[in-house]
Amino acid sequence: MAGEQLVLTGLMAVLLVVIVGALARAEDWRSYTPLAGGGGYGEATGHGHAEKPGGLVRWLTTVDHKDIGILYGVYAVVAFAVGGIMAMLIRVQLTLPGGVIVGNSYYNSLLTSHGITMLFLFGTPILAAFANYFVPLLIGADDMAFPRINAIAFWLLPPAALLIWAGFFTAPLTGNEIEPAQTAWTMYTPLSAEQANPGVDLMLLGLHLSGVAATMGAINFIATIFTERGDGVNWANLDIFSWTVLTQSGLILFAFPLLGSAMIMLLLDRNLATTFFATGNGGTMLWQHLFWFFGHPEVYILVLPPMGLVSYILPKFSGRKLFGFKFVVYSTLAIGVLSFGVWAHHMFSTGMDPRLRASFMAVSLAIAIPSAVKTFNWITTMWNGQLRLTTPMLFCIGFVSNFIIGGVTGVFLASIPVDLVLHDTYYVVGHFHYIVMGAIGFAVFAGIYYWFPIVSGRMYQKTLGKAHFWLSMIGTNVTFFAMLALGYLGMPRRYATYNFDGAIAPLAQVTTFHQLATVGAFILLVGQLIFVWNVVTSWLEGRRVESHDPWNLEENDMLGNEFSWFKEQRATALADGGEEDESVMADGGQPGQQSDER
Amino acid sequence: MNEEQGLSDQYGRASPWPLFVALGLVVSEVGVFLGLFTVAVFGLVLFGGSIAGILTESGYASRPWPTLLGFGGLLAVVGLGLVVWQVPLSAVTLEGFGQNGLLSRSVAIVAAGVILAAAGSVASVAEQTTV
Ligand code: HEM
Ligand SMILES: [Cu+2]
Repeated sequence: MAGEQLVLTGLMAVLLVVIVGALARAEDWRSYTPLAGGGGYGEATGHGHAEKPGGLVRWLTTVDHKDIGILYGVYAVVAFAVGGIMAMLIRVQLTLPGGVIVGNSYYNSLLTSHGITMLFLFGTPILAAFANYFVPLLIGADDMAFPRINAIAFWLLPPAALLIWAGFFTAPLTGNEIEPAQTAWTMYTPLSAEQANPGVDLMLLGLHLSGVAATMGAINFIATIFTERGDGVNWANLDIFSWTVLTQSGLILFAFPLLGSAMIMLLLDRNLATTFFATGNGGTMLWQHLFWFFGHPEVYILVLPPMGLVSYILPKFSGRKLFGFKFVVYSTLAIGVLSFGVWAHHMFSTGMDPRLRASFMAVSLAIAIPSAVKTFNWITTMWNGQLRLTTPMLFCIGFVSNFIIGGVTGVFLASIPVDLVLHDTYYVVGHFHYIVMGAIGFAVFAGIYYWFPIVSGRMYQKTLGKAHFWLSMIGTNVTFFAMLALGYLGMPRRYATYNFDGAIAPLAQVTTFHQLATVGAFILLVGQLIFVWNVVTSWLEGRRVESHDPWNLEENDMLGNEFSWFKEQRATALADGGEEDESVMADGGQPGQQSDER
Repeated sequence: MNEEQGLSDQYGRASPWPLFVALGLVVSEVGVFLGLFTVAVFGLVLFGGSIAGILTESGYASRPWPTLLGFGGLLAVVGLGLVVWQVPLSAVTLEGFGQNGLLSRSVAIVAAGVILAAAGSVASVAEQTTV
């Protein structure tokens, strides 16, 4: 014990010296000009030459919204890969009733980390990636309102991930004394309060930090959209993606601090013997209420910006403006408000007061209306339009299709009598995966392909993009439709094995559907490998885009602000003599040509 | 002006501080909640120092020293307050330090606060007397 303390103290002392040394080398803080510019970047000291230093230092010190966007994006894709590997292990485990590769507790760890990784380390950050890079360009701002806070928010995330995943590394080192948490992403008490494993504390701390990061980001987006709009951008012509980011940020501002407080209470219960969530005094229900008051808005935090992406991109390839733009904005705001009034639909089977239950059922059914408004608007936008089935467009259409299945299954779950049968079965798992993978994931891919030319200056490989789409579409529907069926058969969720008594569920069919789901997951995996390959190779050596309008949008007068920015950017780059020498083929930006990707 | 410029003077869109503010917050949280004394002290000192740095760099403060003093003072008060409010007087002993989780955590917070405040005042005085 004393030895450990000594090592820790030494380590901290060394760290302190290293950090002070690094800062002293990097900075000459005597040169800070007092009170000039009031916190804007750059202007504070008048003698800057270049925008950023080079190499690794650039990425460690950047406060440029585009760089931070790329950092978020890379981070999120890495998290997606980690979460995806966990998912594959889960699927392999479940191909046979007795389980195939892991023990029960390791299964629980995988399940917990998969959920948390995908929601908090992939979902929220990938949306922040798009918002950081593109909201300032779309609204004509020079940067975010608080560039430094933006950087702080990002840098909280890598340590958060390390804390959340730490248990997988410490378990073998400490003889399973510090294991990954096995609480599921919902962290229900008393389970999460009573697991002695310090890995749970690490996970809670990591999650808390990711929440702090999300909140800082949200404040920044709200301030940016309110105060940094350029000339000619007003509330009437604010683009749909920025609207959804604004609404999402509002939801984050109300939801995440609450989760943070609840987790601090849980940490105190675990470490300092407080009794917030003690059983016997309603503590168990208290956790569920606090968690879902955050948890349901969280699902809309994750789905609103993807809806914005689709509302933004889908019209571009339908050759016309978004149908009923105003109503899409109103439905976004309506969802934002209503999403705080439905949380107890996750608790219908807890024995809460039936009158309360009924009112939550009513609001939950009502929230389907604005969601349906959006769906009809997307369909109407495409109706009789000039559809161009580019990769981003395919992903948008896939989004709509999957969102319909995910949404309709949600409406069924919102009905109390149905939910009492299906709660805690694979039907719920199927429902939300149709949304989180089938919709959110697809919109993210649409956004990545659509803006790839701006971010990388190059085009992705078209055939690989299409292969990615079809494998994802088929994989998603095979995997998650099988889960809906498993739910009807009575397969409970969160089980590491399923050697049932025939009275509970028909084992043969259950096994078959589990195997189907695993096959679908492998199809998905192949698709995602192609995606990573495509992005990496195209970024490094893809064909450079030749015009500022790779999608032929000027034809229909649909060039967005971000592509106008791209145009200026390219004009300056050419004037500087950059990148002219590359001889490139035309990339489809020619007028009247249909192939806008290659 | 100085001959050698620092990084954030040379480059319009770079600052070394955000990384360390984030790191400081992370290490502080881990140290305080897991009850690791030195980690908590180090984290809080790093956090407070980086906040003073970033406020000065971005022009919200003219010198870092008052921020150090203020943040350190705040930590010290919070730490002392926790002890007074939650730890029975009889437990405030050297042996109690190892046993009472809240006591050692509070002492860590107070220690970090004292270090920051002391650094802030010494630097401030030194600056005024030597320049
Ligand atoms: C059309 C609107 C929707 C309705 C009416 C709805 C309804 C429901 C209901 C009633 C449940 C609880 C099922 C149970 O545990 O017994 C549920 C679970 C869930 N829904 Fe939805 N939902 C909708 C849309 C969404 C969206 C857009 C998302 C994601 C962005 C989502 C994500 C989830 C998740 C993650 C769960 C499972 C939570 C858990 O227990 O781990 N839902 N939904
Ligand atoms: Cu919900």
